[in-house]
Amino acid sequence: MGFVTDPTAQPSNWVAFRALPEQIGFFSGLLRLFHNPQWNELLYINTCAEHLFESYSEFSEQEIGNRLLVALRSGEIVATGEADYLMFRIRVLEFDAGQSQGEVVFVSRPFAVSLSGVRQ
Amino acid sequence: MTLELAIRLSEIILGLAIFQQSLEFIRSFQLEKILGLIRALLAIVLMLGFYPLLVETVLLVTSIVLIKRFQGPYNGGSDTMSLLVLLCLWLSHWAPVGYWKEIALGYLAIQLVLSYFQSGWVKVINPDWRNGRALQQVFAFTAYPVSNRLRMWAQRPRLLLVMSWTVVIFELLFPLALINQTMLIIALCFAAFFHLANACLFGLNRFFWIWPAAYPIIMWFQTRLAEIF
Repeated sequence: MGFVTDPTAQPSNWVAFRALPEQIGFFSGLLRLFHNPQWNELLYINTCAEHLFESYSEFSEQEIGNRLLVALRSGEIVATGEADYLMFRIRVLEFDAGQSQGEVVFVSRPFAVSLSGVRQ
Repeated sequence: MTLELAIRLSEIILGLAIFQQSLEFIRSFQLEKILGLIRALLAIVLMLGFYPLLVETVLLVTSIVLIKRFQGPYNGGSDTMSLLVLLCLWLSHWAPVGYWKEIALGYLAIQLVLSYFQSGWVKVINPDWRNGRALQQVFAFTAYPVSNRLRMWAQRPRLLLVMSWTVVIFELLFPLALINQTMLIIALCFAAFFHLANACLFGLNRFFWIWPAAYPIIMWFQTRLAEIF
């Protein structure tokens, strides 16, 4: 995901949402067995992303956008510099003939950061 | 295991699974938060065994609202299994006579067997699963591994080949566990360990809680089969 001030522009810097930790300790893993809302939300976001990859769905785009906005509002994501709009993109890793390659298959519309409400 | 005991145990484990899922929704926002709270309270009542038909009816309605909200399951197979267990238990209370009660729960037991067998069949007919490459790609490229260190398992093809075949053989042989109760208990312990491994490696914690909710029912089903044959 990335941030822009002009809704017609593209972010110059994209960062991964909830990047994987290097490793998970025993007690953290045990806790995750009982309660792991962020991971399950991430799996749901991945499902939405797969839908967008197959064919455009306004619902899926809105769902991902809403969840990123909530993460921004809660302080989980910190925007660097001026950030009037949030955008996200989907990059698919493909494996073909022993080679892997990443391709951007979807770039979202801009979501206004200043809006306090999240549409459902 | 008697039918009544199987139903009670299944409802307790189902209640625990729904409670766990609902606590995660309470951390969410808007409709999810409200439904999460309602379902968490209902799950406690279900575990206590009060008004099971009424509680399961409301849980079914809220499950359908959640499916509509997310335009499908939120957490894939675990939501589908939750709904299946809930529906079959609800039907067992709703059934006017014991025969239909047994049909409803027998259906759940068969679905549980198929959930493993069909999964094994899909894997064994896929050459990538037979040579271990499928699991290698899961670790290397998918969103499932829970840490970067786990991603490195993609570079351990021998280990992944052994893991692939262990899972495939277990899943394909699972129906044979119905022959004997001891075999079934061993198979269910292995299945629970398989779900635990999936929770640790891929973060699929909801699967670990919901699949065992159907285990008491398959224990009863095996006893019933032994009586018939």
